[in-house]
Amino acid sequence: MPERWSDYLTIFMSALAVGYMVYEIDRRQRKLREIFDVLDAEDAAVTARLEDMVASGELQPYTGATLV
Amino acid sequence: MPRGSGSPRRPRTEARTRRGTAKSPPAEAPAEQETVVLQEAVVTEPSGRPGTCARAETEASPSTPRFRIFIVDTGWDSPGHKVLQENFGLIRELQREDPIYVLGREKSIEYLRHHEERIGHDPIIAVHDLAAMDDTGTADFHGFRLRLGLLRTHQQALLALQNFARFLRLHRQSTDLEGEIRRGLRREGLAGAIEIVLGHEAREIGG
Repeated sequence: MPERWSDYLTIFMSALAVGYMVYEIDRRQRKLREIFDVLDAEDAAVTARLEDMVASGELQPYTGATLV
Repeated sequence: MPRGSGSPRRPRTEARTRRGTAKSPPAEAPAEQETVVLQEAVVTEPSGRPGTCARAETEASPSTPRFRIFIVDTGWDSPGHKVLQENFGLIRELQREDPIYVLGREKSIEYLRHHEERIGHDPIIAVHDLAAMDDTGTADFHGFRLRLGLLRTHQQALLALQNFARFLRLHRQSTDLEGEIRRGLRREGLAGAIEIVLGHEAREIGG
Protein backbone atom coordinates (compact mmCIF):
# COMPACT_ATOMS: atom_id res chain seq x y z
CA MET A 1 0.00 0.00 0.00
CA PRO A 2 1.37 3.51 -0.78
CA GLU A 3 1.40 4.75 2.79
CA ARG A 4 3.40 1.79 4.06
CA TRP A 5 5.87 1.98 1.21
CA SER A 6 6.36 5.70 1.68
CA ASP A 7 6.99 5.10 5.38
CA TYR A 8 9.62 2.52 4.52
CA LEU A 9 11.15 4.87 2.02
CA THR A 10 11.23 7.69 4.57
CA ILE A 11 12.93 5.50 7.13
CA PHE A 12 15.42 4.26 4.56
CA MET A 13 16.26 7.74 3.33
CA SER A 14 16.55 9.04 6.89
CA ALA A 15 18.94 6.22 7.77
CA LEU A 16 20.97 7.02 4.66
CA ALA A 17 21.11 10.69 5.61
CA VAL A 18 22.19 9.94 9.18
CA GLY A 19 24.72 7.39 7.96
CA TYR A 20 26.17 9.88 5.49
CA MET A 21 26.40 12.54 8.18
CA VAL A 22 28.21 10.15 10.52
CA TYR A 23 30.56 9.18 7.68
CA GLU A 24 31.30 12.81 6.79
CA ILE A 25 31.96 13.80 10.42
CA ASP A 26 34.27 10.83 10.85
CA ARG A 27 36.08 11.65 7.63
CA ARG A 28 36.66 15.25 8.67
CA GLN A 29 37.81 14.23 12.14
CA ARG A 30 40.28 11.82 10.56
CA LYS A 31 41.53 14.57 8.29
CA LEU A 32 41.99 16.91 11.25
CA ARG A 33 43.88 14.18 13.10
CA GLU A 34 46.23 13.87 10.13
CA ILE A 35 46.72 17.61 9.83
CA PHE A 36 47.26 18.18 13.56
CA ASP A 37 49.32 15.15 14.39
CA VAL A 38 50.27 14.47 18.02
CA LEU A 39 53.85 13.56 18.86
CA ASP A 40 54.15 10.50 21.04
CA ALA A 41 56.46 7.55 21.64
CA GLU A 42 56.44 6.63 17.94
CA ASP A 43 58.01 9.98 17.13
CA ALA A 44 60.68 9.80 19.83
CA ALA A 45 63.52 9.22 17.37
CA VAL A 46 62.49 12.14 15.18
CA THR A 47 62.14 14.43 18.16
CA ALA A 48 65.47 13.33 19.57
CA ARG A 49 67.19 14.02 16.25
CA LEU A 50 65.81 17.56 16.10
CA GLU A 51 66.70 18.21 19.74
CA ASP A 52 70.21 16.92 19.10
CA MET A 53 70.57 19.35 16.22
CA VAL A 54 69.62 22.18 18.56
CA ALA A 55 71.91 20.98 21.34
CA SER A 56 74.88 20.62 18.97
CA GLY A 57 74.34 24.06 17.50
CA GLU A 58 73.54 22.72 14.03
CA LEU A 59 70.21 24.51 14.31
CA GLN A 60 69.98 28.04 15.62
CA PRO A 61 66.85 30.07 16.33
CA TYR A 62 65.74 31.73 13.12
CA THR A 63 66.07 35.48 13.30
CA GLY A 64 64.91 36.47 9.83
CA ALA A 65 61.60 38.19 9.22
CA THR A 66 60.86 36.09 6.13
CA LEU A 67 61.60 32.56 5.06
CA VAL A 68 64.21 32.10 2.34
CA MET B 1 46.93 5.55 14.93
CA PRO B 2 45.33 8.18 17.13
CA ARG B 3 45.97 7.67 20.80
CA GLY B 4 43.13 6.94 23.19
CA SER B 5 41.81 9.77 25.26
CA GLY B 6 42.18 7.81 28.50
CA SER B 7 45.95 7.87 28.80
CA PRO B 8 46.73 7.90 32.53
CA ARG B 9 48.52 11.13 33.30
CA ARG B 10 48.44 13.16 36.40
CA PRO B 11 47.65 16.77 35.74
CA ARG B 12 50.47 19.19 36.11
CA THR B 13 49.74 22.34 38.01
CA GLU B 14 52.46 24.33 36.38
CA ALA B 15 54.53 24.22 33.28
CA ARG B 16 58.07 23.54 34.35
CA THR B 17 61.22 24.61 32.62
CA ARG B 18 64.76 23.77 33.55
CA ARG B 19 67.64 25.95 32.67
CA GLY B 20 71.14 25.06 31.61
CA THR B 21 74.02 26.61 29.80
CA ALA B 22 73.59 27.13 26.11
CA LYS B 23 76.74 25.30 25.04
CA SER B 24 77.41 22.64 27.65
CA PRO B 25 75.00 19.73 27.00
CA PRO B 26 76.51 16.83 25.09
CA ALA B 27 75.06 15.93 21.73
CA GLU B 28 73.98 12.49 22.92
CA ALA B 29 72.14 13.61 26.08
CA PRO B 30 68.89 11.64 26.40
CA ALA B 31 65.60 13.44 26.20
CA GLU B 32 64.91 12.64 29.86
CA GLN B 33 67.92 14.60 31.04
CA GLU B 34 66.85 17.61 33.01
CA THR B 35 69.03 20.20 31.36
CA VAL B 36 67.30 22.00 28.52
CA VAL B 37 69.37 24.08 26.13
CA LEU B 38 67.94 27.53 25.87
CA GLN B 39 69.38 29.99 23.42
CA GLU B 40 70.48 33.28 24.96
CA ALA B 41 68.83 35.26 22.20
CA VAL B 42 65.34 34.21 23.28
CA VAL B 43 65.58 33.49 27.01
CA THR B 44 65.07 36.14 29.65
CA GLU B 45 66.55 35.10 32.98
CA PRO B 46 64.46 35.96 36.05
CA SER B 47 65.79 38.93 37.91
CA GLY B 48 65.80 39.80 41.61
CA ARG B 49 65.46 36.26 42.89
CA PRO B 50 68.18 35.47 45.39
CA GLY B 51 69.22 31.85 45.61
CA THR B 52 67.62 30.81 42.36
CA CYS B 53 69.30 27.59 41.27
CA ALA B 54 70.13 27.29 37.58
CA ARG B 55 68.27 24.00 37.43
CA ALA B 56 65.42 24.81 39.78
CA GLU B 57 61.88 24.37 38.58
CA THR B 58 60.25 27.67 37.81
CA GLU B 59 56.68 28.66 37.49
CA ALA B 60 55.69 29.35 33.94
CA SER B 61 55.51 32.99 32.99
CA PRO B 62 54.23 34.39 29.73
CA SER B 63 57.79 35.15 28.59
CA THR B 64 59.19 31.70 29.43
CA PRO B 65 59.66 29.56 26.34
CA ARG B 66 57.12 26.75 26.48
CA PHE B 67 57.64 25.39 22.96
CA ARG B 68 60.36 24.75 20.44
CA ILE B 69 59.03 25.19 16.94
CA PHE B 70 60.65 23.48 13.96
CA ILE B 71 59.78 24.21 10.35
CA VAL B 72 60.48 21.54 7.74
CA ASP B 73 59.88 22.76 4.19
CA THR B 74 61.46 21.25 1.09
CA GLY B 75 59.80 23.86 -1.12
CA TRP B 76 56.97 22.07 -2.92
CA ASP B 77 54.98 24.55 -5.00
CA SER B 78 51.89 24.01 -2.85
CA PRO B 79 49.30 26.21 -1.14
CA GLY B 80 50.81 25.30 2.24
CA HIS B 81 54.26 26.44 1.14
CA LYS B 82 52.93 29.73 -0.23
CA VAL B 83 50.84 30.43 2.86
CA LEU B 84 53.79 29.76 5.14
CA GLN B 85 56.07 32.00 3.07
CA GLU B 86 53.54 34.82 3.06
CA ASN B 87 52.72 34.66 6.74
CA PHE B 88 55.92 33.54 8.42
CA GLY B 89 56.77 37.02 9.65
CA LEU B 90 53.44 37.26 11.40
CA ILE B 91 53.79 33.81 12.93
CA ARG B 92 57.22 34.76 14.20
CA GLU B 93 55.94 37.94 15.79
CA LEU B 94 53.03 36.14 17.43
CA GLN B 95 55.33 33.46 18.86
CA ARG B 96 58.08 35.76 19.96
CA GLU B 97 58.66 33.94 23.26
CA ASP B 98 59.31 30.57 21.65
CA PRO B 99 62.36 29.86 19.49
CA ILE B 100 61.65 28.91 15.89
CA TYR B 101 64.13 26.68 14.07
CA VAL B 102 63.96 26.57 10.28
CA LEU B 103 65.61 23.51 8.75
CA GLY B 104 66.05 25.07 5.32
CA ARG B 105 65.70 23.28 2.03
CA GLU B 106 68.72 20.97 2.24
CA LYS B 107 68.17 19.90 5.83
CA SER B 108 64.47 19.45 5.14
CA ILE B 109 65.21 17.17 2.20
CA GLU B 110 67.63 15.17 4.31
CA TYR B 111 65.02 14.94 7.07
CA LEU B 112 62.37 13.62 4.67
CA ARG B 113 64.78 11.18 3.05
CA HIS B 114 64.94 9.54 6.49
CA HIS B 115 61.17 9.74 6.98
CA GLU B 116 59.82 8.89 3.56
CA GLU B 117 56.25 8.50 4.74
CA ARG B 118 56.16 12.26 5.29
CA ILE B 119 57.21 13.26 1.80
CA GLY B 120 54.53 15.58 0.45
CA HIS B 121 53.23 16.42 3.92
CA ASP B 122 55.51 19.40 4.23
CA PRO B 123 55.63 22.22 5.13
CA ILE B 124 55.56 20.60 8.55
CA ILE B 125 55.58 22.74 11.67
CA ALA B 126 56.62 20.57 14.61
CA VAL B 127 56.06 21.92 18.09
CA HIS B 128 57.94 20.35 20.98
CA ASP B 129 56.31 20.92 24.36
CA LEU B 130 59.22 21.59 26.70
CA ALA B 131 57.06 21.10 29.78
CA ALA B 132 55.93 17.65 28.64
CA MET B 133 59.45 16.69 27.66
CA ASP B 134 60.72 17.71 31.09
CA ASP B 135 58.03 15.53 32.64
CA THR B 136 58.08 12.31 30.61
CA GLY B 137 60.67 12.86 27.93
CA THR B 138 59.60 11.55 24.54
CA ALA B 139 58.04 8.33 25.86
CA ASP B 140 54.59 9.91 25.89
CA PHE B 141 52.90 12.96 24.44
CA HIS B 142 55.50 15.66 23.88
CA GLY B 143 54.15 17.95 21.21
CA PHE B 144 52.32 18.04 17.93
CA ARG B 145 52.77 18.75 14.25
CA LEU B 146 50.91 20.81 11.71
CA ARG B 147 51.17 19.25 8.26
CA LEU B 148 50.38 22.07 5.90
CA GLY B 149 51.18 19.96 2.86
CA LEU B 150 48.01 17.95 3.38
CA LEU B 151 45.84 20.98 2.69
CA ARG B 152 44.77 21.43 -0.89
CA THR B 153 43.66 25.04 -1.04
CA HIS B 154 45.11 28.38 0.00
CA GLN B 155 42.15 29.09 2.25
CA GLN B 156 42.41 25.75 4.06
CA ALA B 157 46.12 26.25 4.66
CA LEU B 158 45.61 29.79 5.92
CA LEU B 159 42.81 28.74 8.26
CA ALA B 160 44.94 25.90 9.64
CA LEU B 161 47.89 28.22 10.19
CA GLN B 162 45.68 30.77 11.93
CA ASN B 163 44.17 28.04 14.10
CA PHE B 164 47.63 26.86 14.94
CA ALA B 165 48.92 30.32 15.89
CA ARG B 166 45.83 31.04 17.97
CA PHE B 167 46.10 27.70 19.73
CA LEU B 168 49.73 28.25 20.68
CA ARG B 169 48.95 31.68 22.15
CA LEU B 170 45.85 30.53 24.04
CA HIS B 171 47.39 27.42 25.57
CA ARG B 172 50.94 28.44 26.42
CA GLN B 173 50.17 27.93 30.12
CA SER B 174 48.06 24.82 29.67
CA THR B 175 48.63 21.86 32.00
CA ASP B 176 46.82 19.48 29.67
CA LEU B 177 48.04 20.42 26.24
CA GLU B 178 47.27 17.03 24.78
CA GLY B 179 43.63 17.31 25.85
CA GLU B 180 43.42 20.81 24.44
CA ILE B 181 44.81 19.61 21.12
CA ARG B 182 42.28 16.80 20.93
CA ARG B 183 39.39 19.12 21.75
CA GLY B 184 40.46 22.39 20.17
CA LEU B 185 42.39 21.38 17.07
CA ARG B 186 41.38 17.83 16.25
CA ARG B 187 37.74 18.25 17.30
CA GLU B 188 37.56 14.76 18.76
CA GLY B 189 34.55 13.41 20.59
CA LEU B 190 30.90 14.34 20.40
CA ALA B 191 31.50 18.02 21.09
CA GLY B 192 34.02 18.08 18.29
CA ALA B 193 31.56 16.43 15.96
CA ILE B 194 28.97 19.09 16.75
CA GLU B 195 31.53 21.81 16.11
CA ILE B 196 32.36 20.28 12.75
CA VAL B 197 28.68 20.31 11.79
CA LEU B 198 27.94 23.78 13.08
CA GLY B 199 31.29 25.52 12.89
CA HIS B 200 32.97 27.00 9.85
CA GLU B 201 36.69 26.59 10.45
CA ALA B 202 36.81 22.91 11.36
CA ARG B 203 34.57 22.09 8.44
CA GLU B 204 36.71 24.08 6.00
CA ILE B 205 40.02 22.64 7.19
CA GLY B 206 38.77 19.07 7.32
CA GLY B 207 36.93 19.29 4.00
